[in-house]
Amino acid sequence: MARANRNLRNFCIIAHIDHGKSTIADRIMELTGQVSKRDMEEQLLDSMDIERERGITIKLTPVRMYYTALDGEEYEFNLIDTPGHVDFTYEVSRSLAACEGALLVVDATQGVEAQTLANVYLALEQDLEIVPVINKIDLQSARVDEAKQEIEEVIGLDTEGCPCVSAKEGTNIRDILEAVVHRVPPPEGDTDARLRALIFDSYYDNYKGVILFVRIKDGTVRVGDKIRGSLSDRVYEVTEVGAFAPHLQPKEQLAAGEVGYIAASIKSIEDVAVGDTVISAAHPETPPLPGYKKVQPVVFCGIYPLDGSKFLDLKEAILKLKLNDASLTFEPDNSVALGFGFRCGFLGLLHMEIIQERIEREFNLDIITTAPSVSYLVHKTDGSELYVDNPSHLPPVSEIDYMEEPIVKAEIYSPPDYLGAIMDLCQDKRGTFRDMTYLDTHRVRLEYRLPLNEIVYDFFDELKSRTKGYASFDYELVGYEKSKLVRLDILLNGEICDALSVIVHEERAYARGRTLCENLKDAIPRQLFEIPVQAAVGGKIIARETVKAVRKDVLAKCYGGDITRKKKLLEKQKEGKKRMRKIGTVEVPSEVFMQILKTNKDK
Amino acid sequence: MPGIYLHIPFCRHKCTYCDFTSFPNRLQYAEAYMACLYKEIEMRGKELSDVTFDTVYIGGGTPSVIDPNYIYGAMNQITKCFHLSRDPEVTIEMNPGTVSEKKIAVYQRAGINRFSVGLQTAIDSQLAELGRIHMLQDYMYCASLLKGKNFSADIMLGLKGQTQEDVRRTVEVVALSGAKHVSMYALTPEDGTPIYTDYLNGELPDGDEVRALYDYGRELLEARGYLRYEVSNFAQKGFESRHNLNYWRRGEYIGMGVSASSFFYERRFTNTFDLDEYMKCILSGFLPVIESEQVEKKDAKFEFVMLALRTAEGISDEKYRAAFGSDWRQDFADAYARTAQYLEETPAGMRIRDEYLYVQNQILTEYMNG
Repeated sequence: MARANRNLRNFCIIAHIDHGKSTIADRIMELTGQVSKRDMEEQLLDSMDIERERGITIKLTPVRMYYTALDGEEYEFNLIDTPGHVDFTYEVSRSLAACEGALLVVDATQGVEAQTLANVYLALEQDLEIVPVINKIDLQSARVDEAKQEIEEVIGLDTEGCPCVSAKEGTNIRDILEAVVHRVPPPEGDTDARLRALIFDSYYDNYKGVILFVRIKDGTVRVGDKIRGSLSDRVYEVTEVGAFAPHLQPKEQLAAGEVGYIAASIKSIEDVAVGDTVISAAHPETPPLPGYKKVQPVVFCGIYPLDGSKFLDLKEAILKLKLNDASLTFEPDNSVALGFGFRCGFLGLLHMEIIQERIEREFNLDIITTAPSVSYLVHKTDGSELYVDNPSHLPPVSEIDYMEEPIVKAEIYSPPDYLGAIMDLCQDKRGTFRDMTYLDTHRVRLEYRLPLNEIVYDFFDELKSRTKGYASFDYELVGYEKSKLVRLDILLNGEICDALSVIVHEERAYARGRTLCENLKDAIPRQLFEIPVQAAVGGKIIARETVKAVRKDVLAKCYGGDITRKKKLLEKQKEGKKRMRKIGTVEVPSEVFMQILKTNKDK
Repeated sequence: MPGIYLHIPFCRHKCTYCDFTSFPNRLQYAEAYMACLYKEIEMRGKELSDVTFDTVYIGGGTPSVIDPNYIYGAMNQITKCFHLSRDPEVTIEMNPGTVSEKKIAVYQRAGINRFSVGLQTAIDSQLAELGRIHMLQDYMYCASLLKGKNFSADIMLGLKGQTQEDVRRTVEVVALSGAKHVSMYALTPEDGTPIYTDYLNGELPDGDEVRALYDYGRELLEARGYLRYEVSNFAQKGFESRHNLNYWRRGEYIGMGVSASSFFYERRFTNTFDLDEYMKCILSGFLPVIESEQVEKKDAKFEFVMLALRTAEGISDEKYRAAFGSDWRQDFADAYARTAQYLEETPAGMRIRDEYLYVQNQILTEYMNG
């Protein structure tokens, strides 16, 4: 038996959003000479445009580095960055499975946050060695000792001698590297054993096919080796293996303990699921590694191409994103109003937004997305049960005995000044108060039980606006509860538009219907005829607004010199029309389908 | 029959809504400019020696701001270089603040037989707001000089603070002054003009209000015998502008002078908008064309529809067939099916129903690109 490299350290970074994780990663790479300061773009690991713009990490991005420690030995580091947002817990657990240790970054001004805890527990479940790092010590408001105390009390980690750094200023970064060397254990594994490599991510490259991001647990893989996934019979020949530097850098082989990539001209995205194990084709009986916990999507929406003929492009885009983001689920869907599209499931609202944005940016597709929904449990009168996340698939009222809706446990952290505002909001959102604790004099933790469908509506925006952005919020699904739910339909010019239907609590239907009609009235451009916009529950109209007929839409003058110019103006107007969908006789702008999310206050 | 357009790019003061090519305070260039224009007339005349023209239109700017003898010279050059029909319609645009008995006499000697007077509104405070150099009394004086002649007045809708009463007074002034023809336009706030600021600040009447003013103005005009023959143009019977009808029938025209546009042999072309460049070109013996585009047949068909649907005569089945050898209802089958309910039969073909004429873009865009 040949042991894995003793000087190898695989680790990741866990932190709450904004606690400085990506900046620390950047400093580590700088110090190990991975990138020269001059070449460095801010936050190198966050390579997607959306990540840079929003200052958050969505995708895990691995990178390999070499570090000569104070003991004179050279160590190879594999750092795997992780996202901080609650929606991306799944990504976090994937990166954790490839590591032996985790840096837990805590902001010295903020202390331990709810999200930090969730990820720490994930890391502990995987038996990772956790190294606390206190960041932002340069700030006036830094409370290093309090932060340490919190880590010890809340998480139970020893903070004796833990690195206290300022990633922004580059202070004490070497302490982190030394801690990695001495506290994170080297990987176990036998380089001579049969190949077993965990796929923790993948993406599609136009030239090389699917690129698998792997952590080799046992054995060695080289170019020319025949490999396969444990769940598929397809055999592939390895064309390239390598490390992340952070761009792909070919190597001769990857051995047990190492993190790297495998390319094998894999064309079919379905053959190599993230979480699966790569094994040698010669030994198909090799037992696979434990995969990941399968995550359940909690938020759903319909995604349709704006231009109906682009359905196949949309399909390809979603398939490719799925390869890269295993938590995305989808199935083909067909809407009367919008034609062919997909019903997609997401881990949360942010996840949904990011996917929508990536489809538009990375695949240059214009899409229409419907209002987010959650999955309801319908008990039918014949005794059967089914889950429904698409309002238009709800069985007729006469067949429904009762319905249940998903409930979350929500934890809200806020300065005490906003307690009243938060409680009002939760009350409005059908919340049930559970608990309140003062964490210290300036922070309160509130616990509520809330229906998830209220959260996917406008809870987050409301919370932010009512607390001037001070409150933070995290939630987890706790189960289903019986609830009086109805489907709210919207009629445009007398015809139901299925893509605008929502499932709401009975008591909410009237107010939602009103708001919806008002918003739609403003969002739908005036046309040649008057358009009634109506909200209905069970065939009964509960609210109505009217889009008046357009009164003036004409080129005042059109003489000799104007003809070309006026033709261009009309062309522009026509372009605008192309961004609309015809629902029955009514032209509806694609944004309208998200209007359902807007509240009255947006106006 | 084809028309001739001459552009005179001078004015005394730029109006706040104006985005035409016009140069205030550059009247000293008039002589040199007109010399170039004569030259261009000569150049174009040679090219189009076998065409008979039926109308001449002298527009601007303010053509009446320059010495009338230049206009006389231009008309002289036109008759020398072009072949005109026996009874051509020759129009000049005039600002009421720039006329005199003598000027009109010179124009008439030059062969001008139609006058287009820019009144815009009978309310003096609104004239001042628009940056017009004249007042109502100037218009009254101008109209008295034109008494009995074929003249048209421009009215503008959508002015800041404009009421129906203001429109009524303006229409009355125009009718009583003896105009045979009225152009009633909605003010179009163009980006880059001073009035655009008012528009951005929501100080101008909105579309619904303009429509109400338009409907009211139209009712008053029709009651006084001015019939709508195009979206913005009204005339007593027999006094429709032949020159403008030619545009809407997709007829050919040659435009001369800075920024002038032309349409001949299925090609649309435009002269430079730069006064100096215009003169340099002409003096070096070149035509000052900066843009030229051959109209594809598909676009030509759309142009035909777009222009014809502005008018009360509408699309003529026969004229369309004569121009393209096909049936427009078939060429635009889908669009026709979608919009037929907004159209009505005429003896010659189809037109937009009265109540939809002012929202015609909604209909026209259906005919665009199939």
